[in-house]
Amino acid sequence: MSDLIVARGLGKTFGTTRALDDVNFSVGAGRIVGLIGPNGAGKTTALKALLGLTRFDGELSVLGLDPYRQRHRLMQDVCFIADVAVLPRWIRVRQLIDFVAATHPKFRREVCEHFLARSDVKPTSRVRELSKGMVTQVHLALVMAIDAKLLVLDEPTLGLDILMRKQFYETLINEYFDEQRTILVTTHQVEEVEHILTDLIFIDRGRIVLNAAMDEVQESYAQVAVRPEHVAAARTHKPLAERQGLGRTHMLFRGVNRADLERLGEVGVPSVADLFVAIIQGARA
Amino acid sequence: MNRFLWLIRREIWEHKAIWIAPAIVIACLLLLVITGNVHLGPIGTIEGPFGDFPRETQVKLLLIVYAGLALVVDMVMGTIAFFYALDSLYSDRRDRSVLFWKSLPLSDAETVLSKFAVAAVVIPLVSLAGAVLAQFVVAAGGSAKLAMSGMASGVMWQPEALFGGMLIAVLWCITAILWYSPIIAYLMLASAWAPKGPFLWAVLPPVAIWVLERVVLYSEHVGDFITDRLFGLYRLLGSQGDSGGETGDPETGREIADKLGQIDLVGSLREFYASPDLWLGVVAAGLLLAAAMWVRRYRDETS
Repeated sequence: MSDLIVARGLGKTFGTTRALDDVNFSVGAGRIVGLIGPNGAGKTTALKALLGLTRFDGELSVLGLDPYRQRHRLMQDVCFIADVAVLPRWIRVRQLIDFVAATHPKFRREVCEHFLARSDVKPTSRVRELSKGMVTQVHLALVMAIDAKLLVLDEPTLGLDILMRKQFYETLINEYFDEQRTILVTTHQVEEVEHILTDLIFIDRGRIVLNAAMDEVQESYAQVAVRPEHVAAARTHKPLAERQGLGRTHMLFRGVNRADLERLGEVGVPSVADLFVAIIQGARA
Repeated sequence: MNRFLWLIRREIWEHKAIWIAPAIVIACLLLLVITGNVHLGPIGTIEGPFGDFPRETQVKLLLIVYAGLALVVDMVMGTIAFFYALDSLYSDRRDRSVLFWKSLPLSDAETVLSKFAVAAVVIPLVSLAGAVLAQFVVAAGGSAKLAMSGMASGVMWQPEALFGGMLIAVLWCITAILWYSPIIAYLMLASAWAPKGPFLWAVLPPVAIWVLERVVLYSEHVGDFITDRLFGLYRLLGSQGDSGGETGDPETGREIADKLGQIDLVGSLREFYASPDLWLGVVAAGLLLAAAMWVRRYRDETS
């Protein structure tokens, strides 16, 4: 299947700073892509460009459309949650459902009601009376009920407790995601999404520093708990990062033969967080 | 089209003042009528029993009362429309729900148009309904009052007065919408554009230009332009003032009726509609509205 998102030479300048600088990537259908970067890396700018909310330089195509010029058309097939708090506070849950049902051709009311029936949210409540977690449940229920091709989530679980966050992603994966859909998510809580991602994009200072499928990452990167006697030998393989642990030195390697690594210590899959730190620091060095 | 009605519905959900304000006006009026404190305008100043007046005079006097009621309701709703327009494209930016609305497949042009329609159609319609209701309340109250003092109460319900009052209210409303449409559109543009505090952003620039012109050029063109746009609608009432000569307060109901007889509402309406000012204003409203759509669409919500 052809790519849903294609970005070529994507750029965006605010004053003198380059928020996005020659960004190239593509996202195919049926993927769950994590767009991960430190604060101010350009994640939100990239998402805004994808959603047609901001002007950009370079080429960008989302579902074959120019998001900036054809935004209204694009929104029929793209959903997004920009931040947890964005539902209007004055509206009642039922009004919200009525309104989306009337204005979104791809909204399936029964699906939304099914999701909400399991929560504690009362349809007659106003958004302002709901807890933060409930607001997110409402928003997620609305978004999951839209039969969209692309779902964009920008820090969707910000401010939620860990139980809610876990439930959020579980619902998303078990009840929403399938091969027809694509999800693009940005978050700081990397450890909560790493098991569901199929692709990783790291972005720092407006540039992409890693863009790979999860299985590629797992093949080419390895975390080794190096025994003290092998530390010197391990360093000859040029680890990307090094960190002291309990009687072991944890090193992150890229593209090193697995058999060689196993002689040095226990080999494991690096966490996305470790990988992120190593790669960002490497890119900045 | 159905979608457009839902957009309008959303506005009515959000801005309850649109129906609460006229409800309060009617409720107050009702209270005054019930407690017997209603002051029937010129009828209160009548010497001698109202019921003894010639029918023509009765109708004219009632017409003033009913049209006056419509004017009060209109002014309340005009104020509502002013603040509604000022808030219309700002409130969702303030509470950051704008990105939620923008995640729905609605064009910004539709959104802006729906909000304009609320200010220029829904609020005036509510205003009209409120005016008609107010007329009935006062007619009922007046009848009761007349009946208590042993007079024929039917005079309050003379169809010429009631329908005449409604007709004036309708004409007034339509003319006011056309005349004030550029102001509504201007307020919406300020609302779409203002980074914060749309009231100041809307009011300060024209006032600043006004003052600057006075100080620098010693002229008042901008000031005249603004006051004319704000109060020019009253030309409809004032145009016959020259011939009649406004000397002192009218003393009796008969005098008022005579004065009223001189008002040529149809004539002044015709004159008003023939003036380019009105139609240039409508054109300006269209341009300002297009600008509001453009700002709404392309404003970067990053910050």
